[in-house]
Amino acid sequence: MDSTEPTGTKAVRPTKARAPAPVARGKHSWLWSLAVGMLILGVIGAIPFQNDIAGLILWTNVVMFCCLAQSWNLIGGFVGYAAFGNVVFFGIGAYTVAVALQHDVPYAIGLLLGVVISAAFAFLLGLPVLRLKGHYFAIATLGVAVAIGEVVEAEGIGGPGGEASLPAPTFGGLDTNTVFFFAFVTLSALLLLGTTWLTRTRFGYALVAIRENEQAAEALGIATFWYKVAAFTISAIPTALAGGLYAYWQQFFNPSGEGGAFDPSRSIAMVLMTFLGGAGTILGPLIGGIIVEYLDNYTLINFSTIHGPLLGAIVVLVTIFLPQGLIRLVQELTRAPVALEGPEAAKVSYIHRIGEGVRRVFRFIASQGV
Amino acid sequence: MLPDGPNGPSASLLELSEVTKRFGGLPAVHNFGFSVREGEVVGIIGPNGAGKSTLISLIGGAISPTAGTVSYQGRDISRLSPHARSYLGIARTFQIAQPFVGLDVRENVLVGALFGRRNLSRNEAMRVADEVLERVGLARKARLKGDQLTVADRKQLEMARALATNPKLLLLDEVMAGLTYNEVDQAVELIRDINRSGVTVLVVEHIMRAIRGVSDRVVVMHHGRKIAEDTPDEVLSDPRVIEAYLGERYSKQRQATQGNQRQGSAETIENEWKEGLA
Amino acid sequence: MDIGNILIIGVLLGCFYASVGLGFSLIWGIMNIVNLAQGALLILGAYVAYFAYSLLGLDPFLAILVSMVTMFFVGWLIQYIAINRVIRAPFLVTFMLTFGLDLLITNLMQQFWTADIRSITTSYSNAHIDLGFGAIPLVRAAVALIAVLLTAALSVFLTRTRIGNAILAVGMDREAARLMGISVARIYALTFGLGAALAGAAGAMLAMTLAFQPSNTGTYTLFAFVVVALGGLGTPWAALAGGMLFGLVEALVGARPETVGLQSAAAFAILVLVLIVRPSGLLGKAFYS
Repeated sequence: MDSTEPTGTKAVRPTKARAPAPVARGKHSWLWSLAVGMLILGVIGAIPFQNDIAGLILWTNVVMFCCLAQSWNLIGGFVGYAAFGNVVFFGIGAYTVAVALQHDVPYAIGLLLGVVISAAFAFLLGLPVLRLKGHYFAIATLGVAVAIGEVVEAEGIGGPGGEASLPAPTFGGLDTNTVFFFAFVTLSALLLLGTTWLTRTRFGYALVAIRENEQAAEALGIATFWYKVAAFTISAIPTALAGGLYAYWQQFFNPSGEGGAFDPSRSIAMVLMTFLGGAGTILGPLIGGIIVEYLDNYTLINFSTIHGPLLGAIVVLVTIFLPQGLIRLVQELTRAPVALEGPEAAKVSYIHRIGEGVRRVFRFIASQGV
Repeated sequence: MLPDGPNGPSASLLELSEVTKRFGGLPAVHNFGFSVREGEVVGIIGPNGAGKSTLISLIGGAISPTAGTVSYQGRDISRLSPHARSYLGIARTFQIAQPFVGLDVRENVLVGALFGRRNLSRNEAMRVADEVLERVGLARKARLKGDQLTVADRKQLEMARALATNPKLLLLDEVMAGLTYNEVDQAVELIRDINRSGVTVLVVEHIMRAIRGVSDRVVVMHHGRKIAEDTPDEVLSDPRVIEAYLGERYSKQRQATQGNQRQGSAETIENEWKEGLA
Repeated sequence: MDIGNILIIGVLLGCFYASVGLGFSLIWGIMNIVNLAQGALLILGAYVAYFAYSLLGLDPFLAILVSMVTMFFVGWLIQYIAINRVIRAPFLVTFMLTFGLDLLITNLMQQFWTADIRSITTSYSNAHIDLGFGAIPLVRAAVALIAVLLTAALSVFLTRTRIGNAILAVGMDREAARLMGISVARIYALTFGLGAALAGAAGAMLAMTLAFQPSNTGTYTLFAFVVVALGGLGTPWAALAGGMLFGLVEALVGARPETVGLQSAAAFAILVLVLIVRPSGLLGKAFYS
């Protein structure tokens, strides 16, 4: 509905005479996003970690979460179906690799199997579950993740009580931590490329249309159900890959509990990161992943006592003041107004643009209350 | 003008047979039957709550009939999903406009062009979108986002989006609500133009001037049933129709003062209705 | 374990679960907010009851009341300060907000009161009532009774008092209610306060029957969700139905050695099934979802 009109705000305030200036979408914003994203990954990849193993591990975790967020963005951001259980694909990927390696199956095959099984599971799960909407869909998926985690634990897959232990990885003398770091960076870069390409394709438009208005999308000839299933299945693939990488990198892991392969908070982290950065944008999940994971680690080390409450407070503040995510905030602040009397954008100073943008943002925030 | 369709001269494109739709206990549409020939423009009128939008949804596919059949080009499409019907060439607008808020106007129409009946490349679809925007008159506002449009703009966007799917049958659900006098004339001309290019149109409207301006035939609904079906002039002077809109007492009063003379020019009816509603 | 015992356990557990879901159901049904902080409010209520008992020497059953009153004000405050700002936002925003609140409250509790497991034990904690075919723990029976009474009280309040009717009206059509002169902001604050109070009651009852610690917050939010999804929205009795079903499943699954540990999995399996087959829940009325 009309998010720009401040209906129902506390008192009947006479609205300012000036209507908000209409804004245009950037013509080549996708190119900018791709370039900036690659630049960021490049910078991260170039960090010298010679003796700083802690730093290497930290940034590997950061990039891993970026991959998870970028994958989730497909179903959660583009289609707008907030799946809260995508960690299940991560776990499946991890445990498939675990079982494979424990049976002397080559790692690459294990990774591939993990992806295949996850995708198949996503497809089958999607068929019933994608008929649900909103809250129900979110919790159904979360329930599935928790349930599968419990099953793995109860059935002792990968080890007693689900405790998996893998043989140490060897990559021909290369430092394993570095190998996995670059593996994740590569995965993230691929996801960046993939997401950018998606926004230019017919498939991408279908997903966005479904998010914006599923009924209208259906009436225009979009087979909404199958597109949803497709997006959900595709989102499972990089997630499973990340899980498979994680498994061999960590060598030891549990199904549930903190840091477990099926830990729901990993799922929620994906959502939060994408949300903070900007769901449905190219850069959003990447930025969100970096900020959240880095902040989480930083506060854990330096402010361990207030780490938990701090994170909570941040989430609260972000949802109240920054619900569109950072990238969209930047877009709003810098967007050029469109003159109604002609196709060219009015030549307006940057300061004015940003000022207008700030006004828009405040109006949006103020309009969300009762 | 009714051009010859592929099924021969003036073949029946859409046919509803004894269609009933119940929500809970109440039938929103009851035993409704009519057929639309290819190339026609059929107006659908009726007081609020008559079931007109339900009818559109039944034809468009958002809902399925509780009983009866909806046939299109000779096939039963009663249970067909909306997107499948779109492939067959049925397009609809929504009474409460549903723009893709996050996309701009051009992209909104682009979605229509990309899906629907075509398999176009993105660039081809863009060109189609621009053409449609020109035709509908929204070209100037192409770069505005969905949530920055006026109500009238949104209705036009609905039409543009539906048109972009290259429909054979276009269902328009109150696209003229909120338009000024001149804008209504423009809309009428646009609908005529669309019809001339070979599209069969169903128009649900409240503005009688517009209905008279576009329709070959008019169907009147009341409490979910069809109570009249004839040329615009005949229908608008039919006492049963007047009674449905303004109530029994008014109709009797009118008959008493005018005897049984049918004085039905559409303007007179419309003025009288306006007086009655004032 | 014979079937009689399982049934008893299931029913008692079910009633308790109903109380866990009651406040959650109210907030969801009226404000269309899935309050992920419900578990946190519940545990906070448990702490209030615990301290009322251990520091002030109050009888645990009285502590339930104290907890309810305290949590009502906490809920009221939270609604005014935070939730109210995002009422009109898309659901993911409110989802994340309540999640953040949950994180905040849980961690603050951990901060102040440590992760020690607490529970309220009294002289009568182990008393039993003999029913011939089985014995029921007294406290659990009392708790179950209170849960049912709370459900009934809520139902009566909503349907037979002016304020209760106002709450229902706002839940059905916010704008129409506003046009009739109802202050929506106040009703929302009242509703959230009530939801929190009910969470407090459940928390106090938890403290009496089991044990608790800050890390339990997520579990109880999830339980509340299961109860509501099973029973549906629209009436407090739906929470009772959902709770019963959940309780019975847990009792059944917990009784067999081969399925112990799969309780949550079984509950979720049922949850997903119910959602697919009957999305509005057992007793749910569609328009509330």
